[in-house]
Amino acid sequence: MYGTSQLWVAGRWGRAFADNVSSNWWSLKASRTDPGLARSVNFMSAWEAGAALAGVIGMDEIVAEFIRRTILKIPVAEIGKILRIWNFIPESQLKTINLKQCKENVSQDVVELCKKKRASMKEAAILDIIYHQTCQIKKIWTVYKMTKAPGEEVDLSDMEEFKDSFKKVLQRALKNVHISFRDSEDTAVWIRIAWGTPYMKPNQYKTTYMVYHSQTPFVFISHCRIKKYIPELWQALMTAGNYHKIQQMELRSLYLDSLKAIVFKQYNQDFQTYCLTSLEEENSEVEIVDPRIIHENMKEKERIQRVTRETFGDYVQPRIEFAQYKLETKFKTDPKNGILAEREEPFRCLVKFSSPHLLEALKSLAPAGIADAPLSSLLTCIPHKAMNYFTIREK
Amino acid sequence: MDSSNVPEFTPKHGVPPRLRDYFTGASSFQRQLASVRKQTPFGQTPSRRKIPQCSPLQENIDPQKIAFLLHKQWTLYTLTPMYRFSYTNLKQYSTLLKCFLAAEKQKGLAVEMGEDFNFKVTFSTLSGMKGTHRDPAAFLIQIVSKSQQSSKNAEDKVVWTGWFCCVYGDSLLENVPDDFTCLPLFLANGAESNTALIGTWFQKTFDCRFTRLTISAFNLSWMAAMWTSCNMEHYGTATELLWSVPCSPQSLDISYAINPEDAKALWDGVHQTPEEITQEEVDLFIDCLCSHFHRHFKINLSATRLVCVSTSVASAHTDGKIKILCSKYLIGVLAFLTELAIFQIE
Repeated sequence: MYGTSQLWVAGRWGRAFADNVSSNWWSLKASRTDPGLARSVNFMSAWEAGAALAGVIGMDEIVAEFIRRTILKIPVAEIGKILRIWNFIPESQLKTINLKQCKENVSQDVVELCKKKRASMKEAAILDIIYHQTCQIKKIWTVYKMTKAPGEEVDLSDMEEFKDSFKKVLQRALKNVHISFRDSEDTAVWIRIAWGTPYMKPNQYKTTYMVYHSQTPFVFISHCRIKKYIPELWQALMTAGNYHKIQQMELRSLYLDSLKAIVFKQYNQDFQTYCLTSLEEENSEVEIVDPRIIHENMKEKERIQRVTRETFGDYVQPRIEFAQYKLETKFKTDPKNGILAEREEPFRCLVKFSSPHLLEALKSLAPAGIADAPLSSLLTCIPHKAMNYFTIREK
Repeated sequence: MDSSNVPEFTPKHGVPPRLRDYFTGASSFQRQLASVRKQTPFGQTPSRRKIPQCSPLQENIDPQKIAFLLHKQWTLYTLTPMYRFSYTNLKQYSTLLKCFLAAEKQKGLAVEMGEDFNFKVTFSTLSGMKGTHRDPAAFLIQIVSKSQQSSKNAEDKVVWTGWFCCVYGDSLLENVPDDFTCLPLFLANGAESNTALIGTWFQKTFDCRFTRLTISAFNLSWMAAMWTSCNMEHYGTATELLWSVPCSPQSLDISYAINPEDAKALWDGVHQTPEEITQEEVDLFIDCLCSHFHRHFKINLSATRLVCVSTSVASAHTDGKIKILCSKYLIGVLAFLTELAIFQIE
């Protein structure tokens, strides 16, 4: 079901020194004891030296700390499940962990078991990916769309080739960068990138996550705060996927699955099947309405219900939490008062809608009498246009 | 003046505040206030107000003190008049309040007056923080936690601040009897547990009562209009109105931020009477914004609830939290809040 592959790209310096374990051991100790000395050997990357030593002296403290912190992030109820998916600690040993104790102790127990198996950052990164795959609403995802050069539309690329090429390009550009891949159930690959430079170890706590579905032009990215490597990232992505151009779609959400539903138009298909049946159902409803209700009122209510259904369908909407509109339109109100009627410049506003479940909230506005039916297409177009960031100007 | 407006209550010197009345909830001082307040037709708020002005007295305020009050989030309270509060006793109040707080923190154990605690309490006046000379002087209380380190560089940390003021209150209050000090607006920043303790001490000492001051959507729209009308040399932030939509099953918040220069242009289009703002203008200003919004989104903001207003002058939330951003209009903002405080004390 799940396959994993991984690459640890060590810097030139790191690799050169990893050949000589004793010199690394010295530099590692030196860097911890004497700050002056540490500066002089720092370019060798004490961390890499430590990673190289992991196989000799047991698990690196940095790896241990990373695993400990990862376990602390996981909700208690999910820890057992995630450790089983990880499949690094054997089942027999997993059973010895008391998951009912406090999280701090659970994390210590996990670290002890990992030490026995000499876990490296390679395995620890996979644990982090599994955490993000299981607990998905921790990151804001942005959708990007890539396009092929004219005449190269046929996509014959293979996922393994893609991964290989992707890591090679990034590795060439940045030397010290830690890339992990993990395939997910829905034919997508999750890519985790911990950024470093030729002189700096990769920072495992500030990572970029990408989800890429082969044979599709879409890639979902959750950026870390480090944004300076975006050009290198685009280069690697386009070379590996054989694309010509990449552009950001103005679509962001915490819910990756909803974004997928929107861009892969899974949403629209459901919608069309619904529309055919909705009109038939409507007739049966009319009969059970209390006849004393004023006719016009009922007609209007019916109309609002119908229009809302036509616009949104009858199923649960894809989940997004916000939409933003930059309005640069002319100010228009009631023509009677004529306020700002002469003004030629646009009236600049920024309107933000936020809700735990925005599209469901919007769907309920007209029936609640808060909005007109149909609702403005600026709002209803969100799933069709696959956008939730807009700039609106006068035509 | 109509004799019925003259306060009935005559304070008896030397008689301790009537705690019994306080506990039964019918404090004599509440009755007192109802009669102190100027008589306006029942429940009616002014339909016109002055455009916020810079008070000449504000020049007397220490600029450092003003800077300290700006950009902080203050929780608003109303306060009934204080009985036998004296500005000459501020030092003594500092000691008494400090001992009270120390005793409370030790769960009621008695503490010695001279004892050294790891915090100190200071009362100080904010001279100039008033609209007219008839307004009583504002004052500030701070709880400062003393640094544990003995080194001189270690700075003391202000953990709680509260201040009491009355700005242009005299036009709304009748003669306040001699033994009472009426500072109807109280602003606090810091742990709510400290605010509660200090509130208790004030109730015990001056027989006054604190109540959270909430701001209705109606008054928020006044703030939106008044603060937009202010002339700013440069604008720090957009004029933002936050609307909360009571739709089920999912809540929805709509933030409507208008470029501050454009908001001012709209206000200038709406505004007619010089130096004054009328209810009609406030309504028209908000209606114009709502109809511009409706044109785009087909949503009627008038059917939703305005919960927050923020401008370059100040920002206010319906739950009674405020941030003042501009020193020039500090007095103007406080004048409106004083008015709301006086009207909320019932």
